[in-house]
Amino acid sequence: MVKITFKAQSGAAWEVEAEPGVSVMSVAVKHRVPVILGACGGSQACGTCHAYVAEPWCSTLPPRGDVEQEMLDFAFDVQPNSRLTCQVRVTPELDGVVITLPPS
Amino acid sequence: MADGMAIPKDMPRELVFEFDIYADPRIGEDVQGDYFKLLSRAPDIFWTPCNGGHWVVRRYDAISEITKDYEHFSVREMQIPRVPNPPFFIPLSLDPPANIPYRQVMMPAFSPKCVAEMEPKLREWAKRMVDEVADKGHCDFLHEIAARYPVSIFMELMGMDLARLREFRDMADEFFNAHDPEGLERAGAEIMGVLTNLMEQKKKSPGKDLVTHFLTVDVEGRKLRDDEVLAMIFILFLGGMDTVTNVTAFAYRQLAGDPTLQARLVADPALIPKFVEEALRCFAVVNSPRLVVKDTERFGVKFHAGEMVLNMLPMGGRDDRCVDDPSRFNIDRQQSTHITFSSGPHLCLGHLLARAEMRILTEEWLKRVPRFRLTPGKAHPFRIGTVCAILSLPLEWDVQPAV
Repeated sequence: MVKITFKAQSGAAWEVEAEPGVSVMSVAVKHRVPVILGACGGSQACGTCHAYVAEPWCSTLPPRGDVEQEMLDFAFDVQPNSRLTCQVRVTPELDGVVITLPPS
Repeated sequence: MADGMAIPKDMPRELVFEFDIYADPRIGEDVQGDYFKLLSRAPDIFWTPCNGGHWVVRRYDAISEITKDYEHFSVREMQIPRVPNPPFFIPLSLDPPANIPYRQVMMPAFSPKCVAEMEPKLREWAKRMVDEVADKGHCDFLHEIAARYPVSIFMELMGMDLARLREFRDMADEFFNAHDPEGLERAGAEIMGVLTNLMEQKKKSPGKDLVTHFLTVDVEGRKLRDDEVLAMIFILFLGGMDTVTNVTAFAYRQLAGDPTLQARLVADPALIPKFVEEALRCFAVVNSPRLVVKDTERFGVKFHAGEMVLNMLPMGGRDDRCVDDPSRFNIDRQQSTHITFSSGPHLCLGHLLARAEMRILTEEWLKRVPRFRLTPGKAHPFRIGTVCAILSLPLEWDVQPAV
């Protein structure tokens, strides 16, 4: 199992464990982490799973895809470590990762 | 209903449940509530022999999976019963990846950023329309508010002539009422005529509207063809004319009957987004069809290529496996589980705009009309099918003397 911590801007945190292979968005939705809605279910059609991936984990991820990039162009508060979490796969390398939620 | 009864010969009898999506006599004014009462007795996924025969899916999880699985359940055809030349919409009638570039072209108008920027304009429209009725003490909420507010915003976005609002609404209504090939073709051609004129007009005198944007934008290194632009504005027209309007009308019928909730929202407008979300859960209006394009066995049911599947989105928000006491309107729920805007690659593009419109209208409405009720003795005629609607909603209230 891979440990993931979601942190809200308020400081509230959710520590959860996830199976490798699923998306970080689906983990957040399953554990009812707020802000991450995943309205389109991972089709890169809504941008409602935007969040920030902390270092050192962020640099280990494959770069943003074209569609992901375009979707982020329309999002609020985009930072260099912004990702659509539906495009981030849970892998053993992500163990311990901290995902910060954007302002809602 | 004897005509057109269709049950495939190997269909298990226990999966057959008779349900006419366009005219079932068991569905009354409380459309979504009546759906729930009736379909709770049906299997989770069932075959109705009505309208040429098709599947009906009523559970949140199954709808969620089917709307994402375009390999088996395609958007290529969305007419029940199937017709020879189904209407073609962009991006709605295209499965991924073909839909994506078009969606990206439309996205700027409906993105979180853009909707936030539109807020002052939405408020201005809401204020203006509420002002027009507030001192009268009564209105037909459907015609005077719910139909005019989102549709005016939409028409302005598209650069359409606002004087033709009622005429355009009637055209959309006719389209959703047509289920035979001739009727559909006639209603579709009428809309296309109007949209073609609009497109030609924007070619001559470009504006800051969405049609001009479609005519000038670069998509993967080329300009869009006329037929593509038309197929894009066709779906926006249908989506813009008759969806927020209908959810809003159902929501206000609920609110009109609940003075305690009115008082709470007036006292604490910060609760209004929760009211909107609960209304979206309870009063979804779209039933979304898919065509089976590859045989598959799912949820214990064998789907065959060529069969139509109807996803009952209004049942998704009232699924008792996901929502406690789903028929109760309760804005204090911790989480709102619904699939009102569908899911997957065809998630409603306007979901953020719809939420913003409903929130802002309610903020402005309650400032001027803090207490209101249904006009007694008035019926609320309705339409059911792939887009459900209330066709009239008379409301009344006591006018406060001027200070």
